Amino acid sequence: MNRYFGFFIALFAIQNDLFAAEAGMPQLDPKYWASQAFWLILVFTILYISIAKFYLPKIKSNLDNRENRIKDDIEDANKFNELSDLKLKEYEKILENAKKEVIKIHIESKNLLDKEIQTKKNTIEKEIEKEITKAQKEIGDLKKNSISDIQKISENIASSIIEKISGDKLNESSIKAAVEDISKKNLGKYL
Amino acid sequence: MASNPMQQFSVHKIGPEIKIAGIDLSFTNASLFMLISASIILLFLFLGTKEKKIIPDKIQLIAEMFYTFVAKMISDTAGSKAKPYFPFIFSLFMFVLFCNMVGMLPYSFTVTSHIIVTLILALFIFIAVTIIGFAKHGFKYLSIFVPSGVPAVLLPLITVIEIISYLSRPVSLSVRLFANMMAGHTMLKVFGGFVISLGLLGGWLPLGFSVALTGLEILVAFLQAYVFAILTCIYLNDALNLHH
Repeated sequence: MNRYFGFFIALFAIQNDLFAAEAGMPQLDPKYWASQAFWLILVFTILYISIAKFYLPKIKSNLDNRENRIKDDIEDANKFNELSDLKLKEYEKILENAKKEVIKIHIESKNLLDKEIQTKKNTIEKEIEKEITKAQKEIGDLKKNSISDIQKISENIASSIIEKISGDKLNESSIKAAVEDISKKNLGKYL
Repeated sequence: MASNPMQQFSVHKIGPEIKIAGIDLSFTNASLFMLISASIILLFLFLGTKEKKIIPDKIQLIAEMFYTFVAKMISDTAGSKAKPYFPFIFSLFMFVLFCNMVGMLPYSFTVTSHIIVTLILALFIFIAVTIIGFAKHGFKYLSIFVPSGVPAVLLPLITVIEIISYLSRPVSLSVRLFANMMAGHTMLKVFGGFVISLGLLGGWLPLGFSVALTGLEILVAFLQAYVFAILTCIYLNDALNLHH
């Protein structure tokens, strides 16, 4: 600043007769000093009063409002944050308990089912066994009956064949004896 | 030179002559531009505080930025005790800044380029600060002239220097602003005159200088307003807190 102020002084002194009364600095002419002082004091006083009384309090209250609002909002946000943390913890706890319960229920029901299956299996097995023995007995009966039936049928067939071939009726008891004899011989082969 | 570069600083009467008790208090172009600057400040602050929005619009934001800028300046240099003087320093900063800035407009008048204006502001500050100092500390305020930790031999000399430096505060404060504004505006005028006198062939270089200087002057206009306000804060700090 001082550098070009000096430059200006030098330049200016060359350009103008600096200290001649008319061409000199109007600033140093005291003619309007009182007027400038008067108007400066008047204008500045008005400016100061209106700024101090009206505008600065307005700006200040607005800035304070904003600051309070921001502070409140941050407080609220922190509160909500804490609340959500709390809720999250609660939720996690509930979730964990639920998981434990699920496992418990799973094991319990599995045990229950296993037991039930076992008992049902046992009863069914018993029933099956019963059925099997019954069926075996029936089969045995059938076997026994079938032998006498076969003998009878064989006797009939034999007597009718003999009748057809020879035209004579043989003694029934002799045929029966013969069939019995043969079937006894061959029974072991088929049964 | 086509015209005197000091022409721009001349004060002339506008309207009728006002004389009170034999003193000429006529309305002049200087008064006009003081009024214009103050009106612009008040209009700007009016628009900036018209709507109290939580999310500010542009002009409100600028008004609030000025507020926080000056508030920070005061609290940084003079501490919390200077809070009651905030409106004065804010008004002072705004007035000097807007007078400087209005003076940057072509054909306008720079109020702060007159020594009488800056001297009255500086004297008011000087007297007010001195009164505040004595009111707060009584005669202990005189200890401002006796810095601590100085050898006894040097003390008389230092005290004299301190007194001179204290008394020259209004002069340095006012001359700094006045000289900066006058020098800058004269420079602009001189380079403007060179553009005309050197004509179409040689006028381009001073034109470039003029453009660059205009930018520089806008910076200076802001800077000097800031310096004026911050020095006021520093003087106030001396009066309020009294440690050298």
